[in-house]
Amino acid sequence: MSLMGTRTTRRFEEPLLATGACAPWLVRAMATAFTVAVMAAPAFAQAGAEEVVVPDLAGVWDGGFGARPVNGPNMPWVPGENFPVLNERGLAYQAAFDEAIAPKYDCVPAASPAIQYDPYMMEVTQWPDRVLVRYEKDDQIRTFWLDGRETPVNDFTVQGFSAGRYEGGALIVETTKFTFDIAGFDDYNGIPSSQQKKVTERYWREGEELRMTLTVEDPMFLREPVAYTTRWLAGPEGYKLQGYDCDPFEAGHPRKFLVPKYR
Amino acid sequence: MKALLWISGVVLVGTVLVTSVGAHHASGPFYDPEKSVEAVGTVTEFVFRNPHSFVYVDAMNADGTTTAWEVEMGASVSMSRRGWTPETIKAGDQIKVVGQPSRAPGTFGICCAELTKPDGSPLRP
Repeated sequence: MSLMGTRTTRRFEEPLLATGACAPWLVRAMATAFTVAVMAAPAFAQAGAEEVVVPDLAGVWDGGFGARPVNGPNMPWVPGENFPVLNERGLAYQAAFDEAIAPKYDCVPAASPAIQYDPYMMEVTQWPDRVLVRYEKDDQIRTFWLDGRETPVNDFTVQGFSAGRYEGGALIVETTKFTFDIAGFDDYNGIPSSQQKKVTERYWREGEELRMTLTVEDPMFLREPVAYTTRWLAGPEGYKLQGYDCDPFEAGHPRKFLVPKYR
Repeated sequence: MKALLWISGVVLVGTVLVTSVGAHHASGPFYDPEKSVEAVGTVTEFVFRNPHSFVYVDAMNADGTTTAWEVEMGASVSMSRRGWTPETIKAGDQIKVVGQPSRAPGTFGICCAELTKPDGSPLRP
């Protein structure tokens, strides 16, 4: 990760990986080589497009408490600022929502737009035809396809289907084909999300930081799109993501402390 | 939309090490932040897991009875980055827990707790 600050764009030859295991002299040599490469041609041909600048997003990124306020009922969706305005259907679902039924208490993984704001590490690997993001939270891996492949028509999943492209020095990702989730908008306010949810993410480098603006559209429940912007800090040198191995008993353990809403 | 929401994050670092369940769920539906409860007793088990760790404490009451407290802690994946291991707390350890009591009648959960040794000295990895 120490290399990250020396380059913010690159061209593809092989995937960028964390460099924590490299000797210092090798890191310096690689940094010099990358700098030369960036100055020479920080671009590559994207499927069906002109040459584009590729931001260097690779590495382990820390979304923990040092990077941003912890997630909660008012974060990152802040009342009076970017908190979603629900339509009548959304309000009805929210009123009926019971915390005990939230899928996370049975180890169902977090999905967009919540997983990006969870206070954990993630690792980004950039390949010519895809970007892989592995989240320490819930052991999730998302693939952002860069090759222009068509969105599957009838393939709905927890993480959805993600199509990416580089544009203006940023990575743009559009994700659709999510499964319905009764708490799929966020983990704290009992707001559902539908199969029509569309999440658009824009990632870019700001010095040593990775930043992202995320926009959510879901006409089934939201009156208008909503968005938040956040950041990750460079992860610890040489850090390897841990396995999460969600424990079903411990995930549901807090349920016993709820005053039941339904009997 | 509020831009770049992270300024106050740094100040949280020191307090969430063993108290937060916020990484996975809000504490409010489960625990009452308006109340505080204290338990001093013997650790019977420390479960170091994701998405929540738990420490179980048998605490003697004034009337001679024992209450088995279940203290919810953070995710092991986060705690381990701060030096916690499954051996940081062991069965038989004496411990003092001060935190928010669980809401459901007849339950003895504690959340968002400060954990110390019985004399108040810090309990750290």
